[in-house]
Amino acid sequence: MAQNQRPKSLLDSLGEEIIRILTPVSICMLLVVLLVSILNSSSSLSVTSSIATIAYSETGSDSSWDKFIGALLNSLVFVVVVTVATFILVLFFYLRCTKFLKIYMGFSSFVVLGFMGGEIALFLIEEFSVPVDCITFLVLLFNFAVIGVLAVFMSKMPIIVTQGYLVLIGMLVAYWFTLLPEWTTWVLLVAMALYDLAAVLLPVGPLRLLVELAMSRDEDIPALVYEARPVTHHDSASRPVQRRIWRERQNARLDSEDSSSLNSDLNSTVSIVQSSHNGARIARVEEGQVSERDAELSAPLIDRRMDAQDGMSTESLMLEGMGLGSSGAIKLGLGDFIFYSVLVGRAAMYDFMTVYACYLAIVAGLGITLVLLALYQKALPALPVSIALGVLFYFLTRFLLEVFIVQCSLNLLMF
Amino acid sequence: MEASQSQASANAALNPHPNPNSNYTNNSNSILSSTPVWPTIDGPLGLSEEESLAYARRFYKFGYALLPFLWAINYFYFWPVLRHSRSFPRLRPYVVSSAIGFSVFSVILSSWALTFAIGGEHLFGSTWDQLVMYNVADRLGLTGWS
Repeated sequence: MAQNQRPKSLLDSLGEEIIRILTPVSICMLLVVLLVSILNSSSSLSVTSSIATIAYSETGSDSSWDKFIGALLNSLVFVVVVTVATFILVLFFYLRCTKFLKIYMGFSSFVVLGFMGGEIALFLIEEFSVPVDCITFLVLLFNFAVIGVLAVFMSKMPIIVTQGYLVLIGMLVAYWFTLLPEWTTWVLLVAMALYDLAAVLLPVGPLRLLVELAMSRDEDIPALVYEARPVTHHDSASRPVQRRIWRERQNARLDSEDSSSLNSDLNSTVSIVQSSHNGARIARVEEGQVSERDAELSAPLIDRRMDAQDGMSTESLMLEGMGLGSSGAIKLGLGDFIFYSVLVGRAAMYDFMTVYACYLAIVAGLGITLVLLALYQKALPALPVSIALGVLFYFLTRFLLEVFIVQCSLNLLMF
Repeated sequence: MEASQSQASANAALNPHPNPNSNYTNNSNSILSSTPVWPTIDGPLGLSEEESLAYARRFYKFGYALLPFLWAINYFYFWPVLRHSRSFPRLRPYVVSSAIGFSVFSVILSSWALTFAIGGEHLFGSTWDQLVMYNVADRLGLTGWS
């Protein structure tokens, strides 16, 4: 088949990876938008007092300037708290207290899944008057929370279960954030984007310290990160099975440059894949035309996955930023999921037009960040570009586009 | 790209089947006669057979602690074990009993939930109001967003 011979371009490898990271982000945003539109239709003016409104609780009657100053104070406090917490995390990671981090991670996941998940489920039950009794509800909630804790940080579960639970945790926390007052939410988003930029790129930033510590010790960062399923390519397939079959097929066609060496390669490949751990690694070395990038992608997924199992599963705070996992798959911190969904959820509280505009802006920003990641090959902050575009498009849509569209519709001109 | 990917996976799927009569006792060691068949649904990204045994046993035992979802995860995760039932003789009893346990539990729970939902007030009388979730939530003030 001609497709196997086509030289690999950036687009081939990047396209599939982009899709695999865009899908969960989109699903998380969609779920938050659904929740917001279902549960907030009765616009409740009750302000939840939380750590993000510690400095100032917005009331409906303040002037714009007061609201702005109050929001600024709130987000300043929040960013300071997050910075301190991240530095504490770096300290614990430096002192190798991974057990404590694991326990904290499990506890926080359980709280988020059990309590926040339970409350949102109760909201939905009340909204739709679902006649479920408390015994069934408790059993299901208990199961849901325990499996979630296991999937996210303790044991090896089907990848799709782990990914699903990460998306759910992101959705729950994002919905909780959308309950903040409006000005506070927007200023908080901008502040978190700036904080992310500083924390990942500045040499003194806590996230950069964390990444460098993790790389120097060759461990995985203890945080809630979503890791996309690694993409297996045909000419550098990670499975020894597929590799052998593909080489058999190419052998039959005999139109590759080193076809003469394929026979000997085939036999040696066959004998090598006996040890399932090293099969992928050694077979990778044999294929001379594999580029560096493919080598990373076909990096020993099998044994790396099992060795890094403990490292990967130590979690604590949510980490913003994007990087390449130990197996070459794209990792996106759960904080990014959360803040994207907060932006879209807050846009949904205004109108669906802003939702579409913000969604497209965020996806564009994510694509740009992924391209930058492919270019620079180091951990990058995923928030700034998307949040900047999202906020910009929200305000443009709300103040300029909506007027235009509404007037056109009212006068039966367009739309 | 999609076509060649599906072709590669089809090749991988076809391969275990032509080998039932050759010496094909253990999965990942006899290469010339069989291809490595992975016990988990994630394929090479999942667990090896020894680890799968430990996990299957642990999930099965913990499922008795009112966690039938663990049984469902067992069944779902080790689905290839049931498909290639000859190659994983040690795993199979755990997966099968997890499947049975989960179906028994779901039958019990769904029958109770459906009785509660459909029966409603006629069947239970005043206790229905005491048991239904939204009233319990109201009474305990659970939706006050503490």
